[in-house]
Amino acid sequence: MLERRLIIVTGKGGVGRSAVSAALASRAVHLGKRVLTVAMTDQVGLALHLGRERLDYEAREIRPGLHALAVHRPAALNEYLRVQLGVPKVTRMGPLARAFDALASTAPGIREVVTMGKVLWEVRREAWDLVIADGPPLGQIASHLRAPLTVSELVPVGRVREQAEWMMELLADASTSGMLLVTLAEELPITETREALRWLGEHQMIDPPQVVANRILVPLQATSRQIKEAGPGPVQEAARMHETLHEEQQRWIKELPPDLQLPYLFGLHTPPEVAARLADVWGEG
Amino acid sequence: MSRVLLVTGGGGVGKTTLSAALGVTAARNGVRTLVVTVDPARRLATALGLKDLGSEPSPHEDEPNLWAAMLDASASWKAIARRHAPADVAGRLVDNPFFEAATQHFPASQSYASAEEMANYVEARAWDLVVVDTPPSAGGIEFFSSPAEMRDLVGGRLLRWLTGGALPGRRTLFTLTARPALRIAGTALGSDLLERVAEFLMDLRTIYDGLSRRAAQIEQHFRESRTVVVTTADPAPIREADRFYRDLPDMVPHPDAVVFNRVLPASWHQPEPPSDGPLVENLIRWGAEAHRQTDVREEFAAHWKTEVATVPWRPKTPTSLDDLAALIADSQGLSRERLGVV
Repeated sequence: MLERRLIIVTGKGGVGRSAVSAALASRAVHLGKRVLTVAMTDQVGLALHLGRERLDYEAREIRPGLHALAVHRPAALNEYLRVQLGVPKVTRMGPLARAFDALASTAPGIREVVTMGKVLWEVRREAWDLVIADGPPLGQIASHLRAPLTVSELVPVGRVREQAEWMMELLADASTSGMLLVTLAEELPITETREALRWLGEHQMIDPPQVVANRILVPLQATSRQIKEAGPGPVQEAARMHETLHEEQQRWIKELPPDLQLPYLFGLHTPPEVAARLADVWGEG
Repeated sequence: MSRVLLVTGGGGVGKTTLSAALGVTAARNGVRTLVVTVDPARRLATALGLKDLGSEPSPHEDEPNLWAAMLDASASWKAIARRHAPADVAGRLVDNPFFEAATQHFPASQSYASAEEMANYVEARAWDLVVVDTPPSAGGIEFFSSPAEMRDLVGGRLLRWLTGGALPGRRTLFTLTARPALRIAGTALGSDLLERVAEFLMDLRTIYDGLSRRAAQIEQHFRESRTVVVTTADPAPIREADRFYRDLPDMVPHPDAVVFNRVLPASWHQPEPPSDGPLVENLIRWGAEAHRQTDVREEFAAHWKTEVATVPWRPKTPTSLDDLAALIADSQGLSRERLGVV
């Protein structure tokens, strides 16, 4: 996966997309890569896992080899107009920028194509070995991946169409672009992940994703007799809790076997701690 | 008029399960209760032990005072257009390709549709209490700002810019492309996209008066609602919960309860564990997690000077009415009177 030049990380809200993105980025930097991480829709999650309050639209160095930016829509829209559509001096073109902004909240695909466009543009200009996009939640992934197509259907000629075409090509190129689908071993995340996989399989806009199951418990190294003998109290309660949760998780994992499992991290207080520990786990294989 | 209980919070915190649990609790206390969730959250049906759940409120077979319904936001939008637009425009509007896009992708749209449905149920006076499981896309306070945002979309920011304040005639519109900015936009876009969008917005704007009136009524319902914010000790939902104290629109009162879900027993954290071995090591790990949860809760409560309620972590998701009722029975610090579930 890390051999590609773009990895889009997605998953249902609350499964740990940002943590996994930040961890993956750390791992890639550790392997000597020059990495850019991009917060696509959630401005805050990735920033916190990188130990920052917020991220700017301009890529900033977090630590050697690791850079980060967040897609702020007005700035992204401006850049899309200027760099991709070649509309000159947008600052002096206030009305046009305003029209586009209003369009972006009305016409299908514009908002998403501007966000995807920023990510794909960073891949295309080859300033980084790897771009890791902390992507939209699962519910919005289809509209983002399909945005170039939607827009080119809407605007059948001209520069918008040309831009949409290279975006689709870059996304579809399996040696360049890949996707990670983060999930939890619980009912709703597994159901939604399975539906997303089906949609992605049918539409083939990007190479089939790798599934990462987050917060997985390891089995308890104790027999049920030992648990019984522990007698009533916290030791036994915690053991039973662990066993039941573990069984539930294994039931859901059987439904959708993941490519990679990341452990449940106990008692970690800060997002950077979580990201660092996950990066270590990744390193251990 | 029914009382309203709005259950809000970030994704994956167990909002739907707690909505169902509060609904069952109220129903068992003799309160005629409707629980409403938004498509595609099938969790409500599973939690209540129902095979399927329609968009019409249906009574629960095993619980005399309990009704449930699942909103279909896209169908609601068609109904909203038909309700507020002139008959000839309504047909053209729902067939317009922009309509589906605008109503499905505009972030406030799903929230607004469910808020308008909520208002319909409240005004039907068929229930004492309507429990609303707010849409996951709204996450938090977006649900409350959705009427204002819809007014803005339908009021037509683009259209107002194109034409000035008054609603223009169609003919005006076709001369608009003479304006220099639009000519450049046309070149960049290579088509008459702006014009097509403007046409759509003109149709959409015919629903403005109706929608504005309705939006004001919905905001009035919000003012009179009780709200519960559900969170876990994870950073993302905590950030959403923070916003209920920091960014809440003026019309909405502060939450009536903040509920921390999936709480571990504080007694599991023992500074000096009794002995060693895998079982004790397991307790130490879970105890560290319990300790972290306590820290997060205390920090939240102190920062916002509020009390917080806790609901215990159940390793298995509740799938029966009794499980749901037990969840509220085992909660701590939750005032059932204040939430209107007794």
